[in-house]
Amino acid sequence: MNHKTIEEKLEFVKKDKLFLSVSGILFLLVTAFGFYDYYTPEWRSYQSEFRDLVDEKFGPERAASIPAGLQQTYVPELNVADRCITCHQGAEWKGLENAPQPFRTHPTEILEKHPISKYGCTTCHGGQGYATEMQAAHGFVEHWEKPLLGKELGEFYVMSDKKALMQMNCNSCHRYDKQTKGADDINRAKQLVMEKGCRACHVINGRGGTVGPDLTFEGEKSPEQFNYERIKGFKSEFSWQVAHLKNPKELVPESVMPNFNFSSADAQALAMLVMSWKKANVPIDYIPGHNFRDIPTQEEKEKEERMLKGPGAFFVKKNCFVCHSVSTLGIEAAAQIGPDLALAVEDVQSRFGRTLDDFLARPTGTMEVVLSTMITLTEEERKEAIEKLRHAYELKQKELK
Amino acid sequence: MQLVELTKKAYEKLIWTWKPGSEKESGDAIVKNLLLHWFPNKVTKGSLSWSYSFYLGTISFVLFMILVGTGLVLMFLYVPSVERAYSSVKDIEYVVSFGWLLRAMHRIAAHLMVAIVFLHMVRVFLTGAYKNGGAVGSNRPLNWIIGLSLLVVTLLLSFTGYLLPWDQLAYWAITVGTNIAGSAPLVGESIRNFLLGGTTIDQNALIRFYVLHVFFLPLIVVFLFSWHMWRVRKDGGLAVVDREALNQKPESIAPVKSKTYSLLGITNGTTVHVQNRMIDEERNSVPSTPHLVRRVWLVTLITFLVVVALSFVFRAPLEAPANPSVTPNPAKAPWYFLWLQEIVTITTIQIGSFTVNGAFIGGILLPGLLMVLAIWWPYRDRSGIESVGVWFAPERRRQNWVFIGICLLIILFTIIGTFLRGPYWKFYWPWETWPTMPVKF
Repeated sequence: MNHKTIEEKLEFVKKDKLFLSVSGILFLLVTAFGFYDYYTPEWRSYQSEFRDLVDEKFGPERAASIPAGLQQTYVPELNVADRCITCHQGAEWKGLENAPQPFRTHPTEILEKHPISKYGCTTCHGGQGYATEMQAAHGFVEHWEKPLLGKELGEFYVMSDKKALMQMNCNSCHRYDKQTKGADDINRAKQLVMEKGCRACHVINGRGGTVGPDLTFEGEKSPEQFNYERIKGFKSEFSWQVAHLKNPKELVPESVMPNFNFSSADAQALAMLVMSWKKANVPIDYIPGHNFRDIPTQEEKEKEERMLKGPGAFFVKKNCFVCHSVSTLGIEAAAQIGPDLALAVEDVQSRFGRTLDDFLARPTGTMEVVLSTMITLTEEERKEAIEKLRHAYELKQKELK
Repeated sequence: MQLVELTKKAYEKLIWTWKPGSEKESGDAIVKNLLLHWFPNKVTKGSLSWSYSFYLGTISFVLFMILVGTGLVLMFLYVPSVERAYSSVKDIEYVVSFGWLLRAMHRIAAHLMVAIVFLHMVRVFLTGAYKNGGAVGSNRPLNWIIGLSLLVVTLLLSFTGYLLPWDQLAYWAITVGTNIAGSAPLVGESIRNFLLGGTTIDQNALIRFYVLHVFFLPLIVVFLFSWHMWRVRKDGGLAVVDREALNQKPESIAPVKSKTYSLLGITNGTTVHVQNRMIDEERNSVPSTPHLVRRVWLVTLITFLVVVALSFVFRAPLEAPANPSVTPNPAKAPWYFLWLQEIVTITTIQIGSFTVNGAFIGGILLPGLLMVLAIWWPYRDRSGIESVGVWFAPERRRQNWVFIGICLLIILFTIIGTFLRGPYWKFYWPWETWPTMPVKF
């Protein structure tokens, strides 16, 4: 250790004081930057632009009445605190229908039944209501799974109606409606569900067959629960659902779901519908007609009754009707992908060169898989099936004569 | 008049429960006061030196104070409930004035504290500062153990804080962490149950982690830290002081006039004062006030500056809300436990149909052994007094290399776990891109 003089000792003191001053100044600068950052958020410039716009259009008095600072719509019933109106200040104004976004007046018709004060914004539009910066608020950021279901996303997925995706959120409350005004894509999808007989295989809203998975809460699934190995391009749950609806076997080779040859628009509408099936935590007052049940239509009920109580009830109970009609016994196939079993006696002989009894005892091809996994028949049941099919064939013969 | 008397009496009863009765008692009261004796009266220049200690202990303390400061404000804003935790953190991020900065600072300071406390331990080891020097009653190995406990509590503080935002990152990091704790033999399940307040990570776990995080663990830190500092004083200051004393040649000085320690005229030879190592002498030391105080302020300011600057650059992330049914891929423990997770993976071996679960080896056995080794080490280290308070003492070369080797392995595994492990815990080189994870839209 060198013995230093007092002057030398002062050297480190000088250095320390210099460092202290420099870091003090740096600290002041950082603090100043912090305050600058605090007082110049993105939304402030939108608010001043909006005031200018109102000043120009409606005069300074109205401009002065515009609230400044962060604004939010808080709806405790829906657990929503949306800060969207901080920038979208003109949403409920009249006369700004043609103003640029974010100042434009919200379409008024829909707001009459869905006031912002009761619904917030994100309930219908999606996006991140917590956020106060555009990119984050519109939800196009990492770790936010509910982006704004608007034009940008519609364009990305090449939807024919660019804003259609939002209809998914309509269906949170309107799930049990047969048709919902303004939700055309969802309405179309609901129609398809009826027409194509999805319920033959899938439980939807508590009713349906058990061949396929229960779809009642399909929308609750997370994107990680799907296999994207065969998806070309962008990997999202929505693109998976669309691709799967267009050709189920292409994504899931072992799937027994038939290919319905849906158009892109139909597949997209159906994907929207199934993804809208979530456990919506909505108070009863928000549900149209306070109806929490999917009530079958009279037509559906009658058809079900007819098939279940008619001579072909056996084929409904054993799920054969999912693929096959038995026309002479009043059984109408849901998906209509197999041949009419009313002709089975003749059909089996010509196709396989075997009798019906022989074929059902030792089936081959698709039926081997179906009869060993999805539909298992006991000895008695097989006999019953053959007997009933013979009867159906006889009826068919009579019909043809 | 009576009222004044009464007030005075009441004040004295409430405030001055004890009053020194003599000057000696007054002096003792000062001497016994920890806060007034944080710093010694004078410090040697070696203790002040940047290159000896790097002020890592001071930085740790400053970081702790930043954490206490930001944490106290965050306590007003955060709601420790499963339903509200996530949205309250979102509010802190977006609508509370400077809320995002508070949260970013709290996070950065927490990460830095783990790193700095670890580096402080490395410094103490490599300078042989856990070894006793010349001071009477010195017990540096004990202080080393207190320091190790502080490291463990620091890790626990960070770990308990991890769960609080209740997002996917939090939920699954705690899942990994508590599952590792659960792999301990016999008591594992009980420990996991005790930590979580049940078998699943839910409200019970959240409130437990919260109370530990904001009350018990900080309390333990304050207690251990005070003890740590008190021991530093009792052990004769930083170990470098012993080194300085050793380096100094004994020299003659005039006996201190005011004191009569020598046995005047009774014995021959010199008095005890004539030959001494003059460590406390003016040439080698400076008064703590203002020099050490100024230094500590400087370190405080720089640390604060770095934390604030880093907070501006690295905003604290918040992932999707916790979802027990969706495991993010990869699910990772907090970064400072990733070396353990890495070892858990390596030691999980498939032998035929039999799987050796690495959680016990990597998660319990190995860190436990390392801790026991660290506690035992100062008692095993028989190097001489020349190795106290000096970087890379030649006599301690071999043990320093062993220690550096262990540290490098820990750091290496941490880096692999943090940066090179992608989905399915698969290894990816830095130049390889990870497969993109699917999104909802």
